[in-house]
Amino acid sequence: MPELPELNPVIHGKLRLALLSLLAGAEQAEFTWLRAKTGSTDGNLGAQLLKLEEAGYVSAEKKFVMRKPQTVYRITEKGREALTEYVQALKQLLGPAISV
Amino acid sequence: MQDEMSARDLNERLDLIQSMIAEGRRSTESWGWVFLLWGVAYYVAIAWASWGGGLSIWGHSYLSMGSVRSGLAWPVTMFSAVIVTLAIGLRKGRPRRASSLVRSVVSIWLAVGIAMLLIFPAFGFTGRLEEHSFVALVAAMLGVANGASGMILRWKAQIACAIVWWISSVGACFGSVAQLTTVFLVAIFVCQIVFGIYAMILESRRHRREIVHA
Repeated sequence: MPELPELNPVIHGKLRLALLSLLAGAEQAEFTWLRAKTGSTDGNLGAQLLKLEEAGYVSAEKKFVMRKPQTVYRITEKGREALTEYVQALKQLLGPAISV
Repeated sequence: MQDEMSARDLNERLDLIQSMIAEGRRSTESWGWVFLLWGVAYYVAIAWASWGGGLSIWGHSYLSMGSVRSGLAWPVTMFSAVIVTLAIGLRKGRPRRASSLVRSVVSIWLAVGIAMLLIFPAFGFTGRLEEHSFVALVAAMLGVANGASGMILRWKAQIACAIVWWISSVGACFGSVAQLTTVFLVAIFVCQIVFGIYAMILESRRHRREIVHA
């Protein structure tokens, strides 16, 4: 029996998965935009983004626009690779049960 | 971990990934086609205005409106280009801007576009604009939009386009109408058509790089 792949626990959380996928499509996004798209709270979003940042999957750039602090997030190459591997693992696990 | 998860959970995650990637992609609109469309529109307007006569910016009788054909070339073509731009833009969906960077660039182009759409028809009605001034103004305004946008995005290719427009703007103040026409046609070709195609190629490469159906 072939060995089943492990799913990356950093990406597996639904909010983190949504964030990484959003950034994979948008290339870069502000904290407020990510909050609006995910419907998350500031605290939870910040914590999940920090986990992704610590894993090296996203990078954050803090700056001031019109004297207001703004954080822009980008997906890194490592993050993109991790997401690709995660999707491949998902598909492998699902096999014929895949519905997409 | 996998043992605890049903196929439904995993499928939900795949759905989530696909919908979120699509959501993100919608926020980074593709704009290369706009440059190409307007480049072609300028060429159509010039060709229409010059139809049957020597090649010139708006035909020999634009200002006097002596020829309906020449007189309508620019207003009709530009109005059509606005309609086509809006139609394609609306079809692509309302831009969901991911950053103030995108918002800034869109704002610059909207402001310059509105200014051009107001000032040139007004000049057309009053007849107080001759060809050299027309090209100098158009080139300067497009230079401003490209320059500001290129500086915000730190995009050297677009800054180069701005420089071409600014040189054309200064060059338009000198020389004959034939030389002016050549300068305008070359600037349109380089900064609208070539740049538009280049931007579209970059966008297409970016989309290929993304995880589409990984």
